[in-house]
Amino acid sequence: MRVPIQIVECATSRPVEAELFDEVTVEHFLETQKEWRPVVLAAAKQLAQSGAPGQILPRHFHWDWSSKEGELQVLAFSFFGITCNAKLQGLMKLDLTGRAGRLPSQKGKPVVYVDYSETAPWNIKALMQALGSGQQYAVVGTRLIEAAVRKSIEEGFKGRVALHSLSGSERFYLEVCGMTEVVRDPTKQNLLWCEFTPEQAEKFLAGGAA
Amino acid sequence: MNSKRTMTLNLTDQEMKVLEELSTQKDLSKTAILRQALRLYQLVDVRLAEGGKLFFEDQKKEKAELMVL
Repeated sequence: MRVPIQIVECATSRPVEAELFDEVTVEHFLETQKEWRPVVLAAAKQLAQSGAPGQILPRHFHWDWSSKEGELQVLAFSFFGITCNAKLQGLMKLDLTGRAGRLPSQKGKPVVYVDYSETAPWNIKALMQALGSGQQYAVVGTRLIEAAVRKSIEEGFKGRVALHSLSGSERFYLEVCGMTEVVRDPTKQNLLWCEFTPEQAEKFLAGGAA
Repeated sequence: MNSKRTMTLNLTDQEMKVLEELSTQKDLSKTAILRQALRLYQLVDVRLAEGGKLFFEDQKKEKAELMVL
């Protein structure tokens, strides 16, 4: 699957053409290690040295997508990427089995679980500011979450999506996407479990969450 | 979206009853339940082939049951 989408070029505040795809390969994982990780690490060091508050520090500096190569052929997982200007701008891994809603109204009903979602470091304002540069593209993360909701609908899960949010991303999932804050999970580094009900997912896709 | 192929599935009354119950409990279509079952089966099979083990633990965490497919 490859579909045209639009993301926003920050320098001009104008929408630009990008591509959402699910044919993710190990080459994309290697691209994150080669192109993304050094930038994330450099920004993390800069932020730490400048005494930036803990919630701004990137918590994903150690992620290694290439460790997920073996999962590319497993039906339980689905991967999505976004490219623009011939570069990978975002990557996401979804878990399609074995996760259920935790909201009382959704308990026991299957959700698409966003296991990993990462945007390229040049699309994260705080990281680029730390490196004395500007953010390149916006709404990449939003487009990935939209893809997760659409996958949930395609799977028959009616838009139910859940994830454990890193501390620096909670505002994005709760305020921008409109997910519900459910519970801090002591089995997952006390990360916040956030969830879309079918109604919230529909509103998000319609553009009414932000 | 990937293209889909159609197959006919013959189930016993009891199997159909379980499928219908799961469909109601999980708020999923019967097709979605069966696709979930296939995904789960493959995932467990891959993990076991990698040397992993699948356990069910009771609520008191006293008794673990090893599952082998």
